[in-house]
Amino acid sequence: MSTFIKQFRKELWSPYIAGIFLGITGVLAVWLSDSLLGASGAFENLAGIIGNAIAPETFNNMYFNFIMPSEITWGVMLFVGTIIGGFLGALSSGTFKFRVNGDSQWKAIFGPQTWKRWGLAFLGAIILEYGAGIAGGCTSGLAISGGMLLAPAAFIFIGGMFASGILTALIVYRKRY
Amino acid sequence: MTTNMIIAVVLGIMFGFTLNKGGLTRYNKIVNVFRFTDLTVLKYMLTALVVAMIGLYGLRSLGLITFPNVPATYIAGNLIGGLIFGIGMALTGY
Repeated sequence: MSTFIKQFRKELWSPYIAGIFLGITGVLAVWLSDSLLGASGAFENLAGIIGNAIAPETFNNMYFNFIMPSEITWGVMLFVGTIIGGFLGALSSGTFKFRVNGDSQWKAIFGPQTWKRWGLAFLGAIILEYGAGIAGGCTSGLAISGGMLLAPAAFIFIGGMFASGILTALIVYRKRY
Repeated sequence: MTTNMIIAVVLGIMFGFTLNKGGLTRYNKIVNVFRFTDLTVLKYMLTALVVAMIGLYGLRSLGLITFPNVPATYIAGNLIGGLIFGIGMALTGY
């Protein structure tokens, strides 16, 4: 039993073990709620809510009325749970702390300034979310959840994601690639 | 709060927990898969895929579940979206 707890509290599990748990979570989502584990959609729902409060005319279009409804959806609740889950994961391994700029590999490439990290994270997140909006999902909602239903869209998306991800990493890392 | 919403939060907690324990919340793990120096993301993603595929197709053949709407396939959109997504993913590491 103590070995189990020790393994459980490890900071990093084997990715295979963590992957098995994600797979089970994905099955449960379909079984219990008839839904897919989408993360990026929640941001669009939330953006729709905020947008409707600020500029209702602009947000009164087909996308926010029908495709991504401006309301608290299943995905938004999933997103809330994801934050709690990540928090609990860090607590269980005793590594939880507030950081504004923590990754040493990032600092080695882009420099130690915090504003750079935040600025590029913000810009990158806009690009990422825009791409997810066009494709109809992100890594979890389309690649994993679509892939497990053998949706062709998922595998096209994974191909595109890796092609441009590798290219971007090549450009960013250049000789250090 | 419907039961469905509570299920969503619980599943979200499981999802976030495995992401954290798998190391997928770190910049270096995400970007290093594109440099082929650390394949954690692929191991995690593909293990989840295989487990979920077996689970879903097994349960469906037992008649216990029906599949939800499968994400729509529109080749240009999926591909262009994926290409844009990859840039953001490699830059931020999220």
